[in-house]
Amino acid sequence: MLFVSLRDLQWRRRRFTIGVLATGLVFALALLITGFAGSFHNEVKRAVDAFAVDRWLVPDGASGPFTSAAVFPAAVADEVAQVTGVDAAAPIAVLRDSVDLGSRTDVNVIAVTPGAPGSPAVRSGDALSRSGEIVVDASTGLDVGDELDVFGETFAVVGTTSGVTYYAGTPTVFIPIEDTQRLAFSGQPLATAVVTTGAISEFDGFQVLTNDDTIEELRRPLGKATSTIDFLRVLLWIVAAGIIGSVVYLQAVERTRDFAVLKATGTTNGTLAIGLAVQAIILAVAAAVAAVVLALLLSPVMSMDVEIPTSAFVVLPIVAIAVGLLSSLAGLRRAVTVDPALAFGG
Amino acid sequence: MTTHVQIRDLVVEYSSGGYPVRPINGLDLDASPGEVVLLLGASGSGKTTLLSILAAILTPTSGSVRVGDAEVTTLRGAALTRYRRDTVGVVFQAFNLIPSLTALENVEVPLRAGGVKRKVAKARAKLLLESVDLAERMTHRPGDLSGGQQQRVAIARALAHDPPLVLGDEPTAHLDYIQVEGVLKILRRIADDGRLVIVATHDDRMIPLADRVVNLTPRADVESRPPVRVELVAGAELFAQGDVGDLVYVVESGEIDIVRTRDDGTGEQVAIVKPGNYFGELAPMFGLRRSAGARATEPTVVTAYTMRDFRDRFQLVTPTETLANAAD
Repeated sequence: MLFVSLRDLQWRRRRFTIGVLATGLVFALALLITGFAGSFHNEVKRAVDAFAVDRWLVPDGASGPFTSAAVFPAAVADEVAQVTGVDAAAPIAVLRDSVDLGSRTDVNVIAVTPGAPGSPAVRSGDALSRSGEIVVDASTGLDVGDELDVFGETFAVVGTTSGVTYYAGTPTVFIPIEDTQRLAFSGQPLATAVVTTGAISEFDGFQVLTNDDTIEELRRPLGKATSTIDFLRVLLWIVAAGIIGSVVYLQAVERTRDFAVLKATGTTNGTLAIGLAVQAIILAVAAAVAAVVLALLLSPVMSMDVEIPTSAFVVLPIVAIAVGLLSSLAGLRRAVTVDPALAFGG
Repeated sequence: MTTHVQIRDLVVEYSSGGYPVRPINGLDLDASPGEVVLLLGASGSGKTTLLSILAAILTPTSGSVRVGDAEVTTLRGAALTRYRRDTVGVVFQAFNLIPSLTALENVEVPLRAGGVKRKVAKARAKLLLESVDLAERMTHRPGDLSGGQQQRVAIARALAHDPPLVLGDEPTAHLDYIQVEGVLKILRRIADDGRLVIVATHDDRMIPLADRVVNLTPRADVESRPPVRVELVAGAELFAQGDVGDLVYVVESGEIDIVRTRDDGTGEQVAIVKPGNYFGELAPMFGLRRSAGARATEPTVVTAYTMRDFRDRFQLVTPTETLANAAD
C-alpha cells in the first residue's frame, strides 16, 4: 500500500519540493552552526598543539597563558630550564593587535623565541630566525614575501601556519619576543608565560598547566557562545519538525475523504498510519540530503571557519527521521480518527 | 457468494441541535441475492444511514442487521475490517476515487490493502475495468475521466474482492442521462451475477431497474376518510415525537400540550393548543416525522382529519400559512 503514499507525494510534488527545500535549509543551518561550534572546539586544540610544548607556566593568580596578561621577567625561563625533567624552556608573550589585511582585522600576536619551545612549525616558508620576521596563519590571506605591520612596525612574512586560530577564527601571528619586548613592553625583558618541553610539576610563584588545562582555559571565553549555538540548534530542529509536521498534517487534512474511503473499503488504521509516516520519512530524508548539499555549498562562503564533524552527516538523517516521525504524529492521529462515514454523501 | 440481508426492528437515533432525531425507526427488511433493492426517500429519510449500517460503518441505536451469517452490528476489530473488505462493496455518490492514482491503481487499492500480491491485484483490476468498458482508460487519473467513467471505476473498485453485497449511494446523482444508462446496465448485471445490490437514491429513473423499492419517506395518507373523534384523559399521549404522522387534529374541548423532547430527556414546550385550533399538519403535509409529541393536559376531545379532508375543510390554509402557524 506504500504506492498510494508515493503516488500522493508525486501528486503534490510542488508542496513536497517546497517542504523539502524549507526543511533542508533549516537542517543546513543546523549543520552550519554545528560546524561553527566544531570550529570553536577544534581551533583551540590546534592552536595549543601548534606550540608543541608540554607545560605552560603562568604567575600565580593568572588564569592562563591566553586569557591573562600578567607579566614577569623573561629570565624566569632560564630558571625553569634548570628544573629536573625539563628539556628546554622559553618565554612567550601573548598579546593582541589589529592589523590591516585589506580591512582592519584583529589578530592574536604570539611572541616566541626563534628556535626555542613555542616557535611554531610552519606549513610553508621558514620558521622565525631573527628580528623583523613574522610567521602568519594562512587565514590572514598573507603568504611568504608579504609584509605586515604589527605594533606599528613592519614585519616580513617568512612562513605560514595552517589552522592556528582562536577566539572564533581570529588569526594568529608569531613574532620574535625581542621585537615584542621592544614594541609592546617599552624594551622591558618581560613575558606572559613560560613554555617547556619535558615535564615540570611545580615552580615557586607560578602555576603549571598541562596542554589539556590550557585548552580548557582557552575554550572558557567561548563557552556562552557554544551553549547559545547548542540552544539554537535545538530551536532549528524544532522549526524543521514544525515544517514537516505542517506538510504532513496538511496532507492528512486534504486526504480526509481518501482516508474515509480507504477505511470504508477495509484498509486498516495501521496501514494508513504507515503510509503517512513513510511520507514524513521521505520528506525528512530528502530534506537531510538537500541540507548536506546546501551546507557543503555554503561552508566555503562563510566568513567563519565551518568544521562539520563527519558524525553530524551520519546523525542528521537519523535525527531527521525521528523529527519527521515525531512531527507527523498530529497527521497520523487525524488519519486514524477519520470517520469512514465521511465517504458517504456528496 | 450468495448472501441474504435480514434487518429487524432497526432504530437509528442521533442528536441534532440538541434534539433526538430518528431517521430510521423500527425498519424491517429482507433482501436476497440477485435482487436490486432501491431505497427511495427524501433527504434525511435515512437512506444513506441505512447503507452506512449495512457497510458496517455506522452502529445503529438498536435492532438487528444480518448479512449472511454475520450480525453486522456486533462486528469489531479484524472481523469488521474483513467484513468491509470481503463482504460488501460500496459505490459512493461522489465517486471518491483517489485523485493521485490512475483508474487501474484505484481498483488495485482494496486488493493490495487485502494483502493481494501486486501482479495478481493488477491483473484482477484490469479484468474489472474491462468488465465496465474502461479498458482504454486504465492509465487515466480521475480528473481526466468523465463522471460516468469515474463512477464505473468506482463500481469496479467496489467489486475488487468480489463481494456478495454491493451498496450504491446515489450512484447516478452526478451523471447525465447518457452516463446513467451505462451505470444502470452495470448495476443490473452485477445483480444478475448473483449479488445483492442495494441502492439508495431519489432518482426515479432507477425504479424500472429495481426488483423491489423500499420507500423510507413517511407518506401522508392521501385517501379521504371520515373525521375521527378522539377522547383523551388528562395526561394521555396523542402521538409521540418521531412518529409517522398522517392526520391533522382540531381541538374541540380541553387542551393539548405540544412538547419537544431534548437529548437529555427533558421537555421543551412548543405550544398549548386550545379549542378551535388545529395542530399536527406539517408531518402529513411534507412527509415528515413528528418533530414533537402531543399530550392532553386535561380531559380533551380532538377531531382527526386526513390531509385531504383538512385542506377541503380549511381552505384558507396554504402551505405558507401552514409553515408560519405550525405548532409541530
